[in-house]
Amino acid sequence: MNHRLLRCLVAFGAIAGVVAPALADDQVFRYPEDTRPTSLLPFFAEDMTSVRMVELIFDPLVFINKRGDVEGALATSWKVDADQMGISFVLREGVTWHDGTPFSADDVVFTLRAARDPKTVFNAKAKFSFIKEAVAQGQYGVKVTFNRPVNEPERRFLFKILPKHAFSGTTISRKDKFARSPIGTGAFKVDKFSLRSVELTANTSYWGNPKIGAVMMQHTPDKAAQVNLLQYSGGKAGVQAVIFLQPKNIPLFENSDTVVLEPYHTVSWWYMAYNHKEKSLADLPVREAISLAINREELLAAHLGRGDTLSGPFTESSPFYNFQVEPREPDLERARQLLEDAGYKMKGGVRTKGRQRLKFKFVMDKELASGQELFLGIQAQLKKIGVQVDAEYVDHARYREQVFTKKSFDLTMNVWSFEEVEDVYPLFHSTGVMNFIGYSNKDVDGILDAAQATKDYKKYKEYMKELHAKLSEDLPYFFLWSLDVYSGLSKKLAGVFIQPYYYFTSFHEWELRP
Amino acid sequence: MRAVPLILAALRRLAGSAGLLIGASFIIYMTVRLAPGDAVDAISPMGTPPEVKAQLAAEFGLDRDPVTGYFAWLARSAVGDFGESLVFSPGESVMAVALPAFKRTVLLSGLTLLAALVLGLGLAILLGEPGPRQQVLTAPAYVLTAAPSFVVAVLFAQGMNWFVQAFVEQGGYETPPWFPIPIYSESLMPYVFAGFAMLAGDGLFMDWFNTLRAELLSLKQAQFITAVRAKGARTVGHIARNLVVPVLSGFSARLPLVLGSVVIVEYIFTLDGAGYVLLEASRARDFPMVVGLSVLFTATIIVVSLIADLVRALIDPREVARGG
Repeated sequence: MNHRLLRCLVAFGAIAGVVAPALADDQVFRYPEDTRPTSLLPFFAEDMTSVRMVELIFDPLVFINKRGDVEGALATSWKVDADQMGISFVLREGVTWHDGTPFSADDVVFTLRAARDPKTVFNAKAKFSFIKEAVAQGQYGVKVTFNRPVNEPERRFLFKILPKHAFSGTTISRKDKFARSPIGTGAFKVDKFSLRSVELTANTSYWGNPKIGAVMMQHTPDKAAQVNLLQYSGGKAGVQAVIFLQPKNIPLFENSDTVVLEPYHTVSWWYMAYNHKEKSLADLPVREAISLAINREELLAAHLGRGDTLSGPFTESSPFYNFQVEPREPDLERARQLLEDAGYKMKGGVRTKGRQRLKFKFVMDKELASGQELFLGIQAQLKKIGVQVDAEYVDHARYREQVFTKKSFDLTMNVWSFEEVEDVYPLFHSTGVMNFIGYSNKDVDGILDAAQATKDYKKYKEYMKELHAKLSEDLPYFFLWSLDVYSGLSKKLAGVFIQPYYYFTSFHEWELRP
Repeated sequence: MRAVPLILAALRRLAGSAGLLIGASFIIYMTVRLAPGDAVDAISPMGTPPEVKAQLAAEFGLDRDPVTGYFAWLARSAVGDFGESLVFSPGESVMAVALPAFKRTVLLSGLTLLAALVLGLGLAILLGEPGPRQQVLTAPAYVLTAAPSFVVAVLFAQGMNWFVQAFVEQGGYETPPWFPIPIYSESLMPYVFAGFAMLAGDGLFMDWFNTLRAELLSLKQAQFITAVRAKGARTVGHIARNLVVPVLSGFSARLPLVLGSVVIVEYIFTLDGAGYVLLEASRARDFPMVVGLSVLFTATIIVVSLIADLVRALIDPREVARGG
């Protein structure tokens, strides 16, 4: 390459880039996100981008530490009432909000009252339904009472605390300007909320002493572009982290000098759901035959990378996973036999019984990772036993309406993610609010009701294992797999611990070396 | 006396444009409102209680029927109030979000069209009359510019990243602030790259070149130019004046194509323009934002076409006589 020409090109690049980004230095942690944060007001932080950003800006009373134990954040200690009908918190002193106002018990009481205000409408409102009342006890004490006994209640206080002085009343709207210019007590404060980026600077008066000077989130919807940012910059000038690396991109960084693959745990699992209102899918032999025809290991390895195939509604790291129940192995012969015995005969390539044809509408969310490839694999495998599935790919909003609200589907595939505890009651109880498949089984309802009524955690675990075995047998869903998830991180980062779900809980301990 | 028919023609055209804009806004509004899935679906995870969904629908104005909703929107937007964003930037005025982004997009699109015009004209003058030598030069250009602009954008971004890493970074030079593409950067370069992708893609440049060359050749052979030449006067001024009409027509005809491709190209280069906002708002079913921006796009096309028609009428009175 002609060096004179190269120098000219470099100079041109420099001239064209005269307005250099203000945050371009070694102490800025940059990361891309797939979606734009919709709200930085914790009640309305419903997408994962917002959840992660809120984690940097706000504090909860308590959080789950690396060992999985509850540790104090804005609360330094707490005491649960003997009857499990209340909890008292002692709050951290000397904490200030990002605008300098002192934090106090009034803020905690305000947050709980705002969440319970009937005019404050948000999706996670049900999480606060166990709370009866909250009362301040002096400047740094709060007593919260419940309307029913609650097991390990401190684990339910992971929500973020809001500043009372920033709101005119307990009715909070998602349209509040606070959603774009929030004031928290967290390690970082919002500097700039632009169309496709959010810039944060370290809160120097934070009690946890953040080690990184600034954070910049950049909305980069294209996964390939995210990989480019990490790959080409070598963690130098571009981004320092990609939150979720697609399996096909993992080999790019396996022997990288500048990027390390950081595995982290997500409390999430994939499933294929049967609509039990569809007559033939209400037949257990049909559901079982379908689950025997699908080779999960093959699909997982081909399209999603590493993970565990599951036998029930929990991840293998869950305390509720029942290892006595083995995941089903694919068995085409048995699948065909089950359908034969149930009276479904081959007719024109599709099994038929009377007027019932095993021909199903498989609705897929376009945003599901590798969804198209997975569907094609499943379609080919089911064809071998005479089951025909036709895909209907719809965008995210339409998927939610069609599948969850209108229930217009026969089969669908998706992922459930949980914050901490895998609460499957809403999914499988016949009255469950997330039971969109129309599943009803008296035994399952009985186990779930008994589990919810018990105050004994050991007993609760036993109930969950029993539930696991029952659901594995009855197949309301075909439980697919939980994935080994990797982030791509710059090797300049140190002290990294990735929190399941919230991701950035311990971010104030992360370091960015020069 | 010439001014009266011109003013009448302008008023006729203005009224037609207003009607067209209202009709277009109705179609856009209805399409967005009647599309499956709405803003409540977009933000409500599974398990959201029905009463919460109903409250949200009321808050978002989704509880009223689309026709009533449209006329309420039309009445408000007539006085400049396009409503508030529902999901993209909740509570913020649509125009407060959309206008700054839209200005960037219009500037990018306009400058791209202008660059294509200047370069196309330059090349047309340089190459002169078509012949075998010119065909050797233009044939590869047709092939290279035939790709869609988003393909050009992706290839360009990949190529530029490779170039900077292989030659600039490895050569020990300081990497430019816009590297790697598409990093968020306040530098102008991502806009320059996006403009290049739009200019080189969708056949835009060669289309301009062809049009301008054909116009130039026909003007050069026109009888009045021969007469001017015979009198020994300079022909440049006459040719330039007679090029204004086809250039304006070409500009207004190609604007919709460029405004269409800018939506995807902005996405690829992570530019914070109206295309990006439109795609994100559509994904979130933020109908006031989608309708507001779509109307802005439509209005721009209509206004540019109106201006082109009026200027054409001013320059060439035959346009008015034809009822233009």
